[in-house]
Amino acid sequence: MIHLMPQKPEKLKTTVMLAALIQRDVLIGLRQKSQIYQPLVFQLLVVTMFPLGLGAGAKTLAAIAPAVIWVLALLASLLTLDHIFKVDHEDGSLETYVLSPVPLPASVLAKAGAHWLLTGLPLTLFSPIIAALMHLPESAFGTMLISLLLGTPTMSLIGSMGSALTISLKHGGLLLTVLVMPLLAPVLIFGASAILESTLGNPASGQLLALTALLVFSLTLVPFAAATAIRINLE
Amino acid sequence: MSSTTRPHHTELARLAKMKSVMPFEPSRTASQMPVKKAHEWRLQGSLLSCEREGAALFKPVSFHISAGESLLLSGPNGIGKTTLLEAIAGLRRYTSGTLRLNNKNIQDQLPAWWKSLCYIGHKDGNKKALSCLENLKFTARLHGHTPTTESLLNALDAVGLAGYEHHLAGNLSAGQKKRLSLARLPLVQAPVWILDEPFVNLDVAGNQWLLEWLDAHLQQGGMLFITAHDNQEMHRRATYRQELYPTDT
Repeated sequence: MIHLMPQKPEKLKTTVMLAALIQRDVLIGLRQKSQIYQPLVFQLLVVTMFPLGLGAGAKTLAAIAPAVIWVLALLASLLTLDHIFKVDHEDGSLETYVLSPVPLPASVLAKAGAHWLLTGLPLTLFSPIIAALMHLPESAFGTMLISLLLGTPTMSLIGSMGSALTISLKHGGLLLTVLVMPLLAPVLIFGASAILESTLGNPASGQLLALTALLVFSLTLVPFAAATAIRINLE
Repeated sequence: MSSTTRPHHTELARLAKMKSVMPFEPSRTASQMPVKKAHEWRLQGSLLSCEREGAALFKPVSFHISAGESLLLSGPNGIGKTTLLEAIAGLRRYTSGTLRLNNKNIQDQLPAWWKSLCYIGHKDGNKKALSCLENLKFTARLHGHTPTTESLLNALDAVGLAGYEHHLAGNLSAGQKKRLSLARLPLVQAPVWILDEPFVNLDVAGNQWLLEWLDAHLQQGGMLFITAHDNQEMHRRATYRQELYPTDT
């Protein structure tokens, strides 16, 4: 005899559900690997082009290093933003968490969190290699790591909103970029400026606080916007 | 199986507890009891219609389903059966009419509705890079359940996927993928099932056990909304059949 009806009234386990969402995405990411390697390889390839184009002068490279590091982080994470909700929409697993008593904004937060673990965190950890190739002074490494640690989650969050908006488009990659780029410009400005200030030996706390503010702002508002976008797209 | 007796016990214990509590609270009447059991549920749709790209799909339909009953939607391809099922599930809006759960508008109680719902659409919802066992485990957990490995294996066994637990879902055949998505039914144990063409790709044996499951589910007081294009047996067994007709325009 197989039981098909609830045996006992179960309490809703929100944490189980959200943890499952993160764990599932991370497991798939670790297994398919391309989501992790793609941005890193892209960064490495592009950064090796700069000495070829500019000439290998350490001074020239160091001068543009803060901007290059941040533009690369931005472009590299753009490569994978498309996947956040689209894959789930294509295989039907999106419906499982849309039709869930767990509020959709919470699930969006979990999805963005998983995306950050798979791209933002590796990008941050990989950044010293990029920085070394760009001859960034070692004194600025600390600020660079902190700024990326604060900025990449914002990219994942805002990216999840863009991904939610372009869910039902076959080739929404360009539209996603157009939608997300202007929203991420402040992150780029403050991130690059933080590194620049610390290469000059100035404190960068103002820029880092601005990055924190952007992160808090997107943490609180983006999940609701993305959730609404998903519901509209399913209609 | 020991699990067949356990729910009975807990149910009896709960009733006994209720009885022992009741005398001390004489003012509390039955209608004020807070917990609504799933098998008291009624879903009433009146003059529901949906549209796609601004055009109405079918003539408005009405139905009234209680626990233990099933509604089968039929009609030609493209008439909007899937759309209506999605509207009933709460995945999309219906453009006119009302959908009332226990005499209250369903829009006001969507979380309660979703908690009791298991929706399996025509996309199977399985991840290609995960094994059958992992897929099933995560689907159950996305529904808020924490299944044991034993219950996961039992569910795979029940749909005829025993021995496939470590195969990647991406390598399964279409029928096996369907079986894997149906394996979540005994794990999630939702009182309301919304199944969009569950018989598609299933073989004869698969058709047989799915019909048995649906019967058992209804006997246990479940509710069922289903489309099943070419399954005559399902058409015969459904409590209600709702044919969708094209609009005149």
